Amino acid sequence: MSVTAVLHSEWIKIRSARASFGSLVAVFAATLMITLLVFATVGRAEADDGGDPVSGAFYAINFAQIAAIAFGATAVSSEYVGGALRISLSAVPHRGLLYAAKTTVVAAAALAVGLATGFATFFAGQAFLGPYAIGLGEPGALRACIGAGIHLTLVTLFAAGLTFLLRSAVAVLSLLVPFLLIVSFVVADVADGVSSWFPDRAGQQVLHQDPSAGLGPWAGLAVEGLWAAAALLAGWWAVRRRDA
Amino acid sequence: MTSIDLLDLTKEYGAVRAVDHLTCSIAPGRVTGFLGPNGAGKSTTMRLVLGLDRPTSGTAAVGACPYATLDEPLRTVGALLDAQAASGSRTARDHLRFLAASNRIPARRTDDVLEETGLAAVARRRIRTFSLGMRQRLGIAAALLGDPPVLMLDEPTNGLDPEGIVWIRELLRRLARQGRTVLVSSHLMNETAAFADHLVVLGRGRLLADTSLPDFIERHSRERVRLRTGDPVRLRAALLRRGHTVAEGGDGRWLVEGARAQDIGALAAQEGIAVLELTDEQASLEEAYFALTANQADFAAAPPASPTAPREV
Repeated sequence: MSVTAVLHSEWIKIRSARASFGSLVAVFAATLMITLLVFATVGRAEADDGGDPVSGAFYAINFAQIAAIAFGATAVSSEYVGGALRISLSAVPHRGLLYAAKTTVVAAAALAVGLATGFATFFAGQAFLGPYAIGLGEPGALRACIGAGIHLTLVTLFAAGLTFLLRSAVAVLSLLVPFLLIVSFVVADVADGVSSWFPDRAGQQVLHQDPSAGLGPWAGLAVEGLWAAAALLAGWWAVRRRDA
Repeated sequence: MTSIDLLDLTKEYGAVRAVDHLTCSIAPGRVTGFLGPNGAGKSTTMRLVLGLDRPTSGTAAVGACPYATLDEPLRTVGALLDAQAASGSRTARDHLRFLAASNRIPARRTDDVLEETGLAAVARRRIRTFSLGMRQRLGIAAALLGDPPVLMLDEPTNGLDPEGIVWIRELLRRLARQGRTVLVSSHLMNETAAFADHLVVLGRGRLLADTSLPDFIERHSRERVRLRTGDPVRLRAALLRRGHTVAEGGDGRWLVEGARAQDIGALAAQEGIAVLELTDEQASLEEAYFALTANQADFAAAPPASPTAPREV
């Protein structure tokens, strides 16, 4: 079978289902909106608090993560509503090809939107900071913009892999969103060393100007990448083994 | 030509054997009705053919190849398994477009099959708003998309209105006339009799019959003659003498079980008795089917308790 044809088909699937396309758009739109709201209101007031100006610029990425999880989960879960996977597999019976194509398209879409979100958030936020604004020349800023895109992609893939395993967006969302919002924070307060190995915390290192405290920006992304890879492997194991 | 070939196909779910050493071949150029009570293994067989479920043993092939090895399978096999499976959040057109794209089927085929199945007007509506009948039509549109030589439809008449049923009957016959292999499962006997040339009947996963429709009816219905005569007393006596059983058929007619009109006619002529009406009664597919599956249900429904030897008193 033609690989490009299957990739094209997977892109049509993502684009034509409201849930997946909506959450993909939300990664960018919600993040930009929150950036505009926050920086237009409290941006300058908070800018001179002596915090890390780079990680401050990416405050809204916290929300992008949730949209990215929703995108990864819904792009996959649509195959598990009412046996839609049977229709997909009768068109593309080679399960490895179908799995790889879907994962690739989800990753590519997340990376494109993630990078756009990273840069847009950075510039949109800085536009409100006047004298406190930093540019891409600021140490760590460019790295953080690109890193934000990669981080969002890996979050998406982590959610996608788990959805292949659990076959339900609801299950994955109710697992990952509370984890992101609560567990990760609580553990970070109690045991910072442990929490920096969590997928979200590890990935977020890249957004800090001086990540000396943690794993380091790229090592952090690598750890997150391992989490995503593990989830995708588990998902593949499930898809390969189960009757459709 | 492209046929569907099942060889010793077996599928077990835990302790339940859904398909049990099934061997048969679905030939092109005719509509094969796939019959059997609920749970007989019809849908499982179709899923096995499509490689969606893995057989416990045995093989299923389309045109001598396992489905999973077909290069662009929608161009070889069009299948409708479950009309409800299409994701409700897409439009009918997008549903067909992603299927077409995956098998490099030109996008205009999408519009062709929407037209052919009468869905052109609702092509841009989300599938979630469709009635069951419209979903069936969409499933058939998807099956026709690749112009495949093999069609496999699971209960396609479900939810169709009378007009839709006539439409699909003609569609199936036309597809078979074009030389395609058409396998259609159904639980509606009269419907199946209206479009099938050949029957494959399953019971508890096993092959009960693989024969043409007329043969099936002939084999599984008892011969019976309906007659009316001007001289009931003599004819009755003549029939009884030759060992026939005669029953009142109501409104002055009689039913003679296990006989054919030609024999009874000859007999009446020999005896010089006037016969006013004489017809062979043929069982319907439904009667023939029940005659077959009733036997099957007998030994299937009641697991034989250890047969006790007849005791002499």
